[in-house]
Amino acid sequence: MNRSVALLMLCGLLLAAAAVGFLRYIEPRPTPLQGFTAPFVFGKFNVPADNPLTQEGVQLGRRLFYDKRLSGDNSVSCSTCHIQQLAFTDGKARAVGISGNPLAFNSMSLANLLWGAQRFFWDGRAATLEEQALIPIQGADEMAQDLNELIGELKADEAYPDLFRRAYGKISAENIARALASFERTLVSADSRYDQYLRGEVKLTAEEELGRKLFMAHPDVKVSLRGANCIDCHSQFLTSGFSTGFDGFSNNGLDTEEMLRPGLQLVTGQLADRGRLKAPTLRNIALTAPYMHDGRFTTLEQVLDHYNEGIRYSETLSPLIMEADNQPRDTISMRFSLNLNEEEKHAIIAFLHTLTDRRFITEEKFSNPFEAGD
Amino acid sequence: MDRKLLKVLVAIALLLIGAWIYVYQTSQPGVVSLRFDTVVGEEPLALNETRYPNPGGAGLFRVRDFQFYLSNIVLHGKKKDYRVPDSYHLARFDNASGRYQLDLPGVPPDAYSAITFSIGIDDAANSSIASVGDLDPNSRMAWNWEVGYKFVLFEGALLDGDTVQPLVYHVGFSENRKILRFDLPESFAPGSPEPLSFTVDVMALFTGKVTIDMAALPNVKFDRADARSIAENYGEMVSLATTTGDAQ
Ligand code: HEC
Ligand code: HEC
Repeated sequence: MNRSVALLMLCGLLLAAAAVGFLRYIEPRPTPLQGFTAPFVFGKFNVPADNPLTQEGVQLGRRLFYDKRLSGDNSVSCSTCHIQQLAFTDGKARAVGISGNPLAFNSMSLANLLWGAQRFFWDGRAATLEEQALIPIQGADEMAQDLNELIGELKADEAYPDLFRRAYGKISAENIARALASFERTLVSADSRYDQYLRGEVKLTAEEELGRKLFMAHPDVKVSLRGANCIDCHSQFLTSGFSTGFDGFSNNGLDTEEMLRPGLQLVTGQLADRGRLKAPTLRNIALTAPYMHDGRFTTLEQVLDHYNEGIRYSETLSPLIMEADNQPRDTISMRFSLNLNEEEKHAIIAFLHTLTDRRFITEEKFSNPFEAGD
Repeated sequence: MDRKLLKVLVAIALLLIGAWIYVYQTSQPGVVSLRFDTVVGEEPLALNETRYPNPGGAGLFRVRDFQFYLSNIVLHGKKKDYRVPDSYHLARFDNASGRYQLDLPGVPPDAYSAITFSIGIDDAANSSIASVGDLDPNSRMAWNWEVGYKFVLFEGALLDGDTVQPLVYHVGFSENRKILRFDLPESFAPGSPEPLSFTVDVMALFTGKVTIDMAALPNVKFDRADARSIAENYGEMVSLATTTGDAQ
């Protein structure tokens, strides 16, 4: 072989190596998130392959979540309506954002979003947390922010360009959504008394235990089994809706036919899905009043009264709710009741209180980084 | 070299390559696809349509949800039985095609003469909270951990005049696992593009061995005798469409 050809080839090789090195340098290589765990009983979960949990992504997401600059006039952040002390709800019947007009819906808790129904919002209209995150930012009543303007603001900031570069490369709407979703996925609530009970660390009181048993049973008069059938829609360990398909969406009898919201029908176009809404997690439920998609109930007593004697019939009402009764059912009447007694209702409420997780609402990693000063 | 000899050599080489490809392919594990279509009597099941007569009494019923656990699939081969690993599958039909298709990869080559599977799950799985296969203790197929899983879930309503009666058949308990066995057609082999096609007759739940009046028995949950009647019935709901199979 001729010498100059060999030399040329060597040069080429060196150049290629340099290019690879340079690409490596500008291509971010974030650190996989360490120590992310969840209880065995929560079961499997999926983090999307194109947005793995990384330390940099989660840290950035936390900052964005608490940053008011995400809104048009810098007055509202995600945390305005998702307050950690209230298990990431806001204490209002219907959330209020930048416009001051109450939204159509009650703010949802953000605990354990990796489990339960894997569609988001009460009617399931967001298919992923990434997709969800950009909706309130642009919503006229929520945060009224233009995404390009937001990107400009973040680029001009001291800290964000570097945080984005290390986590994802560049500042873009897509990466804002990725970071917010990553932070949200880490919001695991798994240290309530119920969790401690499941781990065998504590005993429930007799009342709580009665409530647990009722919660976890579909009643069957034939075998004298009393139950409140909550488990028919709120899973036993997670207390959220079910994750498979649309199993986590039901019509739990809040409204008559005329008043029914479209709910899941908006997503599937099926009449059979009308009025089916997302069964939310009941973790920290004692902290997340008011209740239901429109915040119509202010107390858990009212919630229990609803399930026990307030069910309204519509075509898509859950057959499990219609059928669940602790007394022999009068099949001719179209009235539905669980026929629980007062003691049983109180017991279920006592059980619901065991779902409160103090650690979750005080966990430093979930808190406002601007106040924590890091 | 003489042209004729060259041609012969090329032909032999091609033949050898062909034979090698054939042997290689037939010695590779392949996919076995099982397909389940729901019918009511003769016609395909239509969900959410009030049109099916109550088999044992008055009224028409509709099906809102129907799903069941298939488990412990075994292919009986000439050389060896192939046990599908983590074989817990939730058959459901609320999708666009209205059918359940299960693809089992990596089935070793063999001459398989029969397939067995269960409706329901084995006792060990039924008393565990591990998420194996499609088992999920936080799913709608789970009762609480002290009871185990529903094997077959049927929810709907019976309409008679103005009354709407909810129908809830949640049938489980380890004793109600039904093991079915079907003879396979000679032509069956892993990797075949044609799935094994089964039909599941939803009406058989109420007409198999015991005819059920839905108005008199609108729900079955924890009563052992009732659960057993439905289980006897669902033991007969599956048939192999591509050949004549017998449930045992
Ligand atoms: C003005 C109050 C408000 C603001 C600001 C707000 N949210 Fe929400 N959030 C809500 C309400 C109300 C819902 C339920 C809305 C619905 O179903 O349509 C909700 C629902 C959600 C859900 C769905 C939870 C589930 O289980 O399906 C997520 C996730 C969420 N918000 C995250 C965020 C993030 C991230 C931000 C900031 C970018 C944000 N929210 C800003 C009020 C707000
Ligand atoms: C048929 C399914 C079903 C059953 C059974 C059921 N729920 Fe619900 N639950 C839902 C759905 C769906 C929602 C959300 C409904 C809405 O807001 O429109 C909900 C909402 C709730 C809420 C309010 C949550 C929030 O964040 O606002 C509480 C509390 C609750 N359920 C408790 C219970 C209890 C206790 C039981 C048993 C007595 C029970 N549920 C039985 C489906 C069900």
